[in-house]
Amino acid sequence: MAFVTCSGLSKTYTVGGEEVKALDNVSLTVEKGDFIAICGPSGSGKSTLANVIGGLDQPDAGSVVVDGVDLATAKDKELSEYRNRNIGFVFQSFNLQAHESALENVISPLVIGGVGKKKERQEKGLKALERVGLADRAKHKPTELSGGQRQRVAIARALVNDPQLIIADEPTGNLDSTRGADVISELERLNGEGITLIVITHDPNVANRAKRVLDIKDGRISERAGAR
Amino acid sequence: MKFKDKFRTGWRNLSRQKLRTSLTIFAIVIGAVSVTVMLSLVTSAKGFLMSSAQKTGMDKRVIVTGTAGLDYRESTWNWPDGTGKRIDESVLKEVSALPEVNSASLYTSVQSLAEFSVKGATVAFKNMYTEAYTPNGTIKHILVAGEELSEATNGKGVLISGGVARDLGYKGREAELVGSEITLRFRKDMGPPGSGKADEKGTIVGVVLGENGDGLSFDLDWGVKLDTLTWEENNGPNGETQTRTESNVTRNGYASVWVDLKDKDTADAVVAKIEGMGYGAAAGQEEVDAQATAFTIIGAVLGGIGGIALLVAAIGVINTMVMATLERTREIGIMRAIGATKRTVRTLFTVEAGVLGFMGGVFGVAISFGVAVGLNQVLNKQLADSGITDRNIVSVPPHIALIVLAATTLIGMLAGRLPARRAANLDPVEALRYE
Repeated sequence: MAFVTCSGLSKTYTVGGEEVKALDNVSLTVEKGDFIAICGPSGSGKSTLANVIGGLDQPDAGSVVVDGVDLATAKDKELSEYRNRNIGFVFQSFNLQAHESALENVISPLVIGGVGKKKERQEKGLKALERVGLADRAKHKPTELSGGQRQRVAIARALVNDPQLIIADEPTGNLDSTRGADVISELERLNGEGITLIVITHDPNVANRAKRVLDIKDGRISERAGAR
Repeated sequence: MKFKDKFRTGWRNLSRQKLRTSLTIFAIVIGAVSVTVMLSLVTSAKGFLMSSAQKTGMDKRVIVTGTAGLDYRESTWNWPDGTGKRIDESVLKEVSALPEVNSASLYTSVQSLAEFSVKGATVAFKNMYTEAYTPNGTIKHILVAGEELSEATNGKGVLISGGVARDLGYKGREAELVGSEITLRFRKDMGPPGSGKADEKGTIVGVVLGENGDGLSFDLDWGVKLDTLTWEENNGPNGETQTRTESNVTRNGYASVWVDLKDKDTADAVVAKIEGMGYGAAAGQEEVDAQATAFTIIGAVLGGIGGIALLVAAIGVINTMVMATLERTREIGIMRAIGATKRTVRTLFTVEAGVLGFMGGVFGVAISFGVAVGLNQVLNKQLADSGITDRNIVSVPPHIALIVLAATTLIGMLAGRLPARRAANLDPVEALRYE
């Protein structure tokens, strides 16, 4: 059975009095361990799709079932728990809490989820930072880190709860090509460890490394043939 | 999210904006101090009133007069006008027989004094009260010096008020007057010609607290005697001269009977019984209660003013928290993305606002304790100057401190509710995009 099953997803926004179809009858399935790139121009609805699969947004119509749970109808508490336990988000602009250290940022999902005691959290956090090679920067504030390092801290935060799915929305968008490539390699490595990966991108270099590429335009989705 | 973590996060967020947090807390402190100090002052004043009432026996006192319907003050000082029932030994006996009564005394005033001298100083008898009663413990005073009238003071003891001591030039040195001889001189206009009285001498045994009322207290028998005039008249049946003796008491009876009850709670019942006998009766407790009620009203008004200050502080909390939700919109989005429920966000902001209120309460109550210490230092000096032995009469009652602490915390949380709800209901996707 597919890990993520979306069927008939629709979502309409009203922007400046005009209705914009962000998702128009979108259906797709994602298998466990997949690495999917979702490509499309800005405003095409790719972020909306990622947010819906990530439980951050809910569709107007259709269903999105992840691991047996229908997110389209789930209540706030269920959705939040789902985000906390099963999803790791990585954003273009990193979205780290500026006043917290790298380690504090990484363990924040554990704090919010009420997981473990302080010591246990710190151990898990350090382990996650080790996985992205930043254990020595645990005490640094985001402003004391380079862009690539910040994004790796964000990845460590996404990892700390051992999620089944990482959703990365333009993870390389704010990075130069070398740092961007590092981040993608990192994500690729995690995918190799069995974590399902959905990456939103319009960077062909990123898309080329995905197992499947989906193009989205005006809220409609199509699978690109010939991805590796 | 564990509560401990919510608290820690709230605390941390507050300490990120130290100046704003301090100012918001400061506003709550002002409100908390006003409420605490006002309520404490009123409570302390009431306590002082009650303890004074206990010392003078006012709380256990019932005054019996010949006229029904007089209130406590009137019954204390009014001279019978002849319209009511006569008060004399038979009334005393009747009242004393009541099982609730501890002791009782006839009570009257001395009308014929013109002036008196002590240690060479003479004071005209003007706007002064006099009282005469049996010194059997029924009537008590708060004394600045010396002792109460008693059997031991030998019938010719005199209590003078603090005001008289001041008039004599002994303010602050009242004790020096105790044991001094007091010479009483009488009015010439009281009886018919030839009824003038020779001076009388007594001994000052004590000085009563209070500069407001100027007066003298006498033993009942001596007091009646002081008011008794004796003269000769040539109006016998055969034109012979005969001696006549008359006083206010023989003409009109006594002013009242003062009663000391065994238990103050029986006052109402005793008043009813005595009224049932056809006399007027007023309980001292009524007066104490009336004064206590006045203090309660003053307390409510002052507390209300403090409450307004707290209300203004609550608006400050709302303002601070609204600012916080705006500034931290993106943070809220991040928290939601990594799994915070709406409820968690709401609680976080509510806790934060509650911490503001709590801190304001803590500092406010602490400062109030300081204010009480300061007030006491000033008041103690005044009390000492007035010869009152009570000290540190202003205190912050623990229950008021706790109530204020709970109230400021609650006010903070309530004020934080609206901004907290606003934060919780932010769309996480929008919040993450917020610049």
